[in-house]
Amino acid sequence: MSGAAEVMETQARRDVRNRWLLSLPALLIILLAASGPLLIVLVYSFLTPGPYGDVQWQPTVSGWINVFLERDIFDETLSLADAHVSIFIRSVWLSLVTTVLTLLVGFPTAYFIATRPDNSRELWLFLITIPFWTNLLIRTFAILQIIRNEGLINNLMIDLGLFARPVQMLFTDGAILTGMVYVYLPLMVLPLYASMEKLDFRLVEAGYDLYATPFRVLRRIIVPLVKPGIIAGSILVFIPALGAYVTPSILGGGKNLMLGNLIELQFGQGRNWPLGAALSITLMLIVMVALLFYVRNARGSGVRHG
Amino acid sequence: MADLNAVEIRNVSKIFGFGEFAFAAVNDTSVAIRQNEFFTLLGPSGCGKTTLLRLIAGFEFPTAGEILLNGANIAAMPPFKRPVNTVFQSYALFPHMTVAENIGFGLQMLGRPKAEIEARVAEMLKLVRMEELRGRRTSQISGGQQQRVALARALAPQPKVLLLDEPLSALDYKLRKDMQIELKRLQSETGITFIFVTHDQEEALTMSDRVAVMSAGRILQVGSPREIYDAPTDRFVADFIGETNFLKGRVVSITDGIAQVDTGVGGRIAAALPQGFVPEGEVTVVLRPEHAMLCAPDHSGACQMTGTLENVVYFGTDTHYHVRLADGVTSFTLREQNKPLQAARFASGDRVGIAIESNAARVLRN
Repeated sequence: MSGAAEVMETQARRDVRNRWLLSLPALLIILLAASGPLLIVLVYSFLTPGPYGDVQWQPTVSGWINVFLERDIFDETLSLADAHVSIFIRSVWLSLVTTVLTLLVGFPTAYFIATRPDNSRELWLFLITIPFWTNLLIRTFAILQIIRNEGLINNLMIDLGLFARPVQMLFTDGAILTGMVYVYLPLMVLPLYASMEKLDFRLVEAGYDLYATPFRVLRRIIVPLVKPGIIAGSILVFIPALGAYVTPSILGGGKNLMLGNLIELQFGQGRNWPLGAALSITLMLIVMVALLFYVRNARGSGVRHG
Repeated sequence: MADLNAVEIRNVSKIFGFGEFAFAAVNDTSVAIRQNEFFTLLGPSGCGKTTLLRLIAGFEFPTAGEILLNGANIAAMPPFKRPVNTVFQSYALFPHMTVAENIGFGLQMLGRPKAEIEARVAEMLKLVRMEELRGRRTSQISGGQQQRVALARALAPQPKVLLLDEPLSALDYKLRKDMQIELKRLQSETGITFIFVTHDQEEALTMSDRVAVMSAGRILQVGSPREIYDAPTDRFVADFIGETNFLKGRVVSITDGIAQVDTGVGGRIAAALPQGFVPEGEVTVVLRPEHAMLCAPDHSGACQMTGTLENVVYFGTDTHYHVRLADGVTSFTLREQNKPLQAARFASGDRVGIAIESNAARVLRN
C-alpha cells in the first residue's frame, strides 16, 4: 500500500514540475516585459526630474505629491491640483459613459447576431471585426473628417438648410465619446456575443410562457444569464478607455485632455518623468480598483454555463 | 362553459419558409380538445405535433386558421398573455434561480401577492413531492427532480391548459414509467386539461383519454386509445401503432357496415367499414397479429386463409408465427399467447390455416 502511495506522490511531484517547466516561457516574458518595466516606472516615480527629461538619482516624493497637489511658485504652499483632479474625474467619467454607451449599442447587436441562423452568424461577426483591420489613427482621422466644421455632417446639414452655420462638434467631449464608442464597440460585442451564444433560448420561451413581458424576460432572464459577458465586455472597454490617448488627443483637441494625454505630456513637453510615472501608477491603481469591484460583483451571481 | 371545448383548432396551417422552400409543418388541421381531458398528439418526429403545441402556447403564430381557448380566439395573442403553460422537453428551468423561485416565477409575473405565491409554491412542492429541495439550484438536482420542478412551475399559475412537449423523453426507462403514473395522478388531481406530445405509442396508449395521430402536418385520426388501436381508419395509423397485417382484397358485398372481402388466399373475410366510407375497387384490410389464430388447413369452414408457416419465434409470454399466404407474396404475422407446457402446434414449413376472430378485421380508407 505504501508503495502505491509513494508512486502517486512522485507522480504528483513530477506533474507539478512539468507544469512549471511548461509555463516557464510565459513566466519569463511576464517577468521581463511586464514586471521589469513596471518596477522601473515605480522607481522613477520616486526620483527627481532632470532638466532635459530623464531623472536624477535623488529620491523624493515630489512626483507623487504633484499627482493631486501643486506647489505655489511664490509661497511654496500646497493646494489641490485642480487641473489634474478634473482630468482624473473627466477620464473616469468619459470612460464610464463610453462603457454604458457601448453596452447600450452592443447588447442589441450581440443579441441580434446570437439569434441569427448558424451559417450567417460568422458573417455578422466578421463585419463587427472589420474595423480592427484598419489603423486606429486612420479611423480616428476619418471620424474627424466627418464631424469637423467643413466636414460631411455640417456640409450636408447646411446644404439641406437645417443648420444656418457649422455646428462645432469636433474638439468636444461628444467627439471624444463618439470616437471611443466606435473604437471600443467590438470589444463589448464579442464577449457579449460569446455569452449570448451559450444562452438557451428555450429559457426565453419559458419566461414568455410564464407571463413575463418582453422587458421582464430581458431583465429577469437574459441579463442575469449573460452577466458574465456584460462584465467581461465592460472591463474590456472601461480599462483601455481610461488610458485612451489617440482618440482624445485628435478628436478632443488640445484642451479636452484625458489621463493618457496628461501622462504623455509629462514625458514629452513637461519633462517631468517622475510625475508621469506616478500618474501612470495611479491610473493602474484605478484600473485595479475597478477590476476588484467587478470581480466582487461577478462572483456568485454569474451563472456558469454547461 | 362546461360544453365549451378547452382548446379548439380550426383549419390551422403553419407554413415555414417562402416560395419553393415553403414547408407546411401544420396543414389545414382541425381538432377539438375537451375540458379536463388528457389529450395526446402522437406521431413520428417531424409530423408537426410540436409545432401544433407551440401554436397553442403562442411561440409560433398560425399562417391561417383560428385557435380557440374556451371559445375565445387566441391565435394572435402573445404567449405571456395566454392562460396556458408549457412543460418543455428539456425542462428549460432557470439556472439562476432556486427550485422555489422557479416554481413561483409565473405567479410573480402575474403580480400575485407574496403570501399567496409562498403558499402556492409550498402547495406545488408538496404536490410533486419536492419539499426538501426547495432551496436548491436547478443544476444541483437530478433529471427526474428537474422534471417534477418543471411540472410544478407550469402548474403553479393554475393554467386552463397544460402543454407537455415530450417531457419524459430524457428520462430513463424506470423513471419514465414512474412519471407516467405521476402525470396521470397530477392530471386527475388538478383537473387541468393536459395536451401531451409524444412519439412513443405506448406512452400515448397508457396515459391518454384521447389520442390524435399526426403525420405530415395533418391529424389522421382522433379517438380513445382503444379506438385508435382496434379501429384504425388509416393505413398510417394502423402501421404506426402496434404491429399490423395488411391484406389486399375486393369487396364482394356489404351488409350493415360489414364488408365481405375476397382476399384471394382462401375464404372471405368479414371486415368493418369506416363510417361513411364507400369502398371502390381494391381495398386494404387490417388485422392485428393477436386477433388471428393458426388452425389446421383442412377445416376450411373455420379458416379464412391458408398459407405456409415460414418462421416460429418464441417470446416467452407469446409466440410469433410468420406465415406466407397462399398467393406466395403476402406475409402475415400471428401472435398467440403461450399456455403452460404446451408444445408448439406447428413447425416451420407446415401448411397452415388462419382463423380470424370476429369483429377484428377492418377496411381502411386508403
